[in-house]
Amino acid sequence: MAPPPPQSNRSPSPSQPSGKSEVSDLKLQLRQLAGSRAPGTDDSKRDLFKKVISNMTIGIDVSSLFGEMVMCSATSDIVLKKMCYLYVGNYAKVNPDLALLTINFLQRDCKDQDPMIRGLALRSLCSLRVANLVEYLVGPLGSGLKDNNSYVRTVAVIGVLKLYHISATTCIDADFPETLKHLMLNDQDTQVVANCLSALQEIWTLESTTSEEAARERENLHSKPYVYYFLNRIKEFSEWAQCLVMELVAKYIPSDNSEIFDIMNLLEDRLQHANGAVVLATTKVFLHLTLSMADVHQQVYERIKAPLLTQVSSGSPEQSYAILSHLHLLVMRAPYIFSSDYKHFYCQYNEPSYVKKLKLEMLTAVANESNTYEIVTELCEYAANVDIPIARESIRAVGKIALQQYDVNAIVDRLLQFLEMEKDYVTSEALVLVKDLLRKYPQWSQDCIAVVGNISSNNVQEPKAKAALIWMLGEYSQDMHDAPYVLESLVENWDEEHSAEVRLHLLTAVMKCFFKRPPETQKALGAALAAGLADFHQDVHDRALFYYRLLQYNVSVAESVVNPPKQAVSVFADTQSSEVKDRIFDEFNSLSVVYQKPSYMFTDKEHRGTLEFSDELGNLSINAETGDSVVPAQRVEENDKDLLLSTTEKDDVRDPGSNGSAYNAPSYNGSVPSATSQPLADLAFSSTGATGQAPAPGLAIDDLLGLDFSVGTATTPSPPPLTLNPKAVLDPGTFQQKWRQLPISLSEEYSLSPLGIASLVTPNALLRHMQSHSIQCIASGGQSPNFKFFFFAQKAEEASIYLVECIINTSSAKSQIKIKADDQSSSQAFSTLFQSALSKFGLP
Amino acid sequence: MLQCIFLLSDSGEVILEKQLTGHRVDRSICNWFWDHTNSQPNSYKVVIIIIIITFSLSSIIIFDFSVLCLQQQPVIASPTHYLFQVCREGITFLACTQVEMPPLMAIEFLCRVADVINGYLGGLNEDSIKDNFVIVYELLDEMIDNGFPLTTEPNILQEMIAPPNIVSKVLSVVTGNSSNVSDTLPGSTASCVPWRTADPKYANNEVYVDLVEQMDATINRDGVLVKCEINGEVQVNSHITGLPDLTLSFANPSILDDVRFHPCVRFRPWESNQILSFVPPDGQFKLMNYRVRKLKSTPIYVKPQLTSDGGICRLNVMVGMRNDPGKTVDSVNVQFQLPPCILSADLTSTHGTVNILSNKTCTWSIGRIPKDKAPSMSGTLVLETGLERLHVFPTFQVDFRIMGVALSGLQIDKLDLKTVPYRFYKGFRALTRAGEFEVRS
Repeated sequence: MAPPPPQSNRSPSPSQPSGKSEVSDLKLQLRQLAGSRAPGTDDSKRDLFKKVISNMTIGIDVSSLFGEMVMCSATSDIVLKKMCYLYVGNYAKVNPDLALLTINFLQRDCKDQDPMIRGLALRSLCSLRVANLVEYLVGPLGSGLKDNNSYVRTVAVIGVLKLYHISATTCIDADFPETLKHLMLNDQDTQVVANCLSALQEIWTLESTTSEEAARERENLHSKPYVYYFLNRIKEFSEWAQCLVMELVAKYIPSDNSEIFDIMNLLEDRLQHANGAVVLATTKVFLHLTLSMADVHQQVYERIKAPLLTQVSSGSPEQSYAILSHLHLLVMRAPYIFSSDYKHFYCQYNEPSYVKKLKLEMLTAVANESNTYEIVTELCEYAANVDIPIARESIRAVGKIALQQYDVNAIVDRLLQFLEMEKDYVTSEALVLVKDLLRKYPQWSQDCIAVVGNISSNNVQEPKAKAALIWMLGEYSQDMHDAPYVLESLVENWDEEHSAEVRLHLLTAVMKCFFKRPPETQKALGAALAAGLADFHQDVHDRALFYYRLLQYNVSVAESVVNPPKQAVSVFADTQSSEVKDRIFDEFNSLSVVYQKPSYMFTDKEHRGTLEFSDELGNLSINAETGDSVVPAQRVEENDKDLLLSTTEKDDVRDPGSNGSAYNAPSYNGSVPSATSQPLADLAFSSTGATGQAPAPGLAIDDLLGLDFSVGTATTPSPPPLTLNPKAVLDPGTFQQKWRQLPISLSEEYSLSPLGIASLVTPNALLRHMQSHSIQCIASGGQSPNFKFFFFAQKAEEASIYLVECIINTSSAKSQIKIKADDQSSSQAFSTLFQSALSKFGLP
Repeated sequence: MLQCIFLLSDSGEVILEKQLTGHRVDRSICNWFWDHTNSQPNSYKVVIIIIIITFSLSSIIIFDFSVLCLQQQPVIASPTHYLFQVCREGITFLACTQVEMPPLMAIEFLCRVADVINGYLGGLNEDSIKDNFVIVYELLDEMIDNGFPLTTEPNILQEMIAPPNIVSKVLSVVTGNSSNVSDTLPGSTASCVPWRTADPKYANNEVYVDLVEQMDATINRDGVLVKCEINGEVQVNSHITGLPDLTLSFANPSILDDVRFHPCVRFRPWESNQILSFVPPDGQFKLMNYRVRKLKSTPIYVKPQLTSDGGICRLNVMVGMRNDPGKTVDSVNVQFQLPPCILSADLTSTHGTVNILSNKTCTWSIGRIPKDKAPSMSGTLVLETGLERLHVFPTFQVDFRIMGVALSGLQIDKLDLKTVPYRFYKGFRALTRAGEFEVRS
């Protein structure tokens, strides 16, 4: 038996090293053992190695032992070898010179009889990651790929990928990608095939920026022969590899419907797989394949519903969260399909609140005529929940359901019951909701006002709730007996009111009250205006001043400004635009779903890999949302200054989204200058070319539309006369699909005229202009100085479609344009047309 | 694509670190994670295994997750990486990424890692991981390469790396060969049944099938059964020589609302005849999960009553059997959280013991429900001064266990063995437990 190593007496557990002085101790002992061939050496070595590695694990730098470790590595014991490999892999990068010492024994192990050792050695060899040692890698990798044991081949395939990351040229020069491709299509072992696939995907994606061929190969992976090859073997793959294959299939575009059904039939049993990742990947394939077939798409929802719900209830909390996030997305897209399963979204007492929050949103979405009663009853139980944030959320949910339903009788009663619950946070939330409800259903004012009138403003502390209460006092002062006096007492306590929002509302409310009951309010109004003028907050000051001058000028005008008759709000601006939701849906089974934002909002541009297009559209929608998506009905209120109430609220609800866009803005700015690297001469040429060539067709279109555009008088007709269909139609789905499929046929940069820049205040201005040139806009957005547009146009009397992405930076007066076309040959002609249309923008 | 694996102890100390790709992840991410976890309300201190996945980039992305991170979420964003975490028996597994990837894949993989390590070490705790970290390294080495999951089947892994059980320790002392790595590669890595050990041999061939069901139910304030559902599992423990082909059928498969299977189950026989046909992995495994919806009643009832007046709240809870399932209901336990506005509580029970912990968790352990008399618990709760009535009502979480019955009514019809001409022993069992069984008051 082996003599116990002396040091083991000192520290009882090898994994609990005492300190740094031990490193030099270890060094000494290793040195002693290095040359020893005595029996039992391996056991002593093993203890020593264990100590070294536990030191390494704890974070003590043991790289000084490198030489000794390598000397001790001559052994036949596989555990020793493994520990040694681990050590070497960890420190080789910082000790490139010493790493050379290990090459020798690793190379020898690569030729070992035991395939396990061959594999391990090869893996370690590739994990050294020292750039000047790559020459030693090529040989072992080459023979590893031809090894007759599949374990060694799997390791070698990943090894190629590792080599590529250390030195791409060495990897390409050795023609490894080609070997991998051959292996992928011919190897018996599916793990080898799967590894080839993941390695090749990565290599070709990285190569495709420089090499045409790699780009083509990558595209080929999504072609029919490849996809069918993988699909036919899908059941042999390990569950993880199946996920990989599904990702690939989701990108495949089948040629006809029968193909789609074949694929779905083949994959249907994957929905029953025990591995949630496989189920979700399959779900993605199903959803994406059927996008174009509305009725089948619907059936797919029905089909995937049960497996996903099972996953939620039978998995661990972490798994259910990931599934729930995806379910949340689906529920938001097709709430009616899930409306009978609403009970699955009931919250459990001990669920974490982020899960409860998701579930509450889903409950809100699935509520319809038949289940509203049950859902609202359930939500009301949460209002008494110990978890206060959830109690608040559930009250808000009740309010949202009320706003989306036509039959609100029962819900209004519930809300009013909340007001009587005498819990301050419940009262606050309910007040805000009653306010929103009244904006949408003014007919309920009698009932609500009766209850709201009983609430003492002293009991309401939260600014939002207080603002809501004050708004109601102002708006319904004719119905609330003591409104002027309540407002008066609030004005008296002006200095104690810390929230500017509340003070702003107070000003407006006093104004409104004044118009309705002047004698009672006059004193309060005077006090409020005086206090407002002396206010340190700029907005409050300005508003007070504005009201003051307005009243001075003409009282009846003031009334029509401050208190005009109002229309009920029909739809509240949605917190997340549908484009963003679609974008997230396209990125199903990815982090986007969990974060509830498209990937462009949280991954930076250069590493987005294959999802180039997916980032673009969403960009716009977010901006568009802040821009012009306010519903007309709300505009009426704008006059009333009550928009403040709605906008501040919108901001709050939209918190995650607005954070995202706030983050996004700088990165977007950054990308513009980097892309303007095109030679300037080129630019100048193209812009002159534009004015010279295009006007003729441009004018033709003007005439066609009967619009009187007295623009440019150039006469040279453009060589291929291209006319566009003025009534081209394209739905966003097709646009996205086409954008993804088509290659960029033209990418140019133009300068814009100063006049054009001046008129580009909102995206809409340009939209109308381009429309007059038969170029339709499908998505737009942005704020000065950056605007982004997606246009499309159709050739007259032909189905050929042009897609354009246009980024305009008004500060540099440049626009970047990417054109994709069904008919590549005419894209140049279209480009000139587009350019001319753009150059005319802003001209009188 | 995972990049690095860390194991942290309950004090945030790194137990184990495994870098997977060339892009090295700095240890400081653990500190960030630890601070982040501790800064969250309701976070629990646990032994933590962090698996870091990063990608070939080093840009900094900053987020404000104040809204989303009410408690620690399974997927969170750090300034440099995205972290996935999974918590098992006080141990959290955490992974991280800088590009898009299927989040469920990462989480699912972490769950498997946890399961495998748990199986190997016979339980997850800091000491056992520290004592066996070489094995954990070896396991991770085989389970994932360059960030992509490889083999996670316990059967296969056990052939590559022997578990550190007592038998192998004894064996190593006797034979003097203390390597825990088998000399040969598992044959099944190349076989067509990747989940099965190549050719096991047993003196006694036996298969045990267990139906284990969990009842999730919610009873609302008015005593109405709002939701009642059963999540069941068919657990099989198989020890059969050779390559057996088993078929298992149920007497009433139509009651199952949805099912999911271990990869070994063939889909077609199930689709056409609701028969489970499979070549089992060796040893213990989960053959299938199922879900049965819309159950009409629960085996026991719990009726809480709260009446409050003048700063005192009177509490009375009755527990009893509803429809006698024919078997004894035992391990009955009622637990609830006293609302924060309660100053003191005085509770007594006619059966079992009542315990109130310092964090205001009240547990009433009943054990077996007596046949003759329904147990009850009653007493008074004193409210905070100034509070007349109770506004926040506790939710009662109920635990019970019934041996010998699958409450969903699912019954196994028969189990047959094809292809192998042995006689074998079959055993069936059933068990129902309370899952999320809650009663609101």
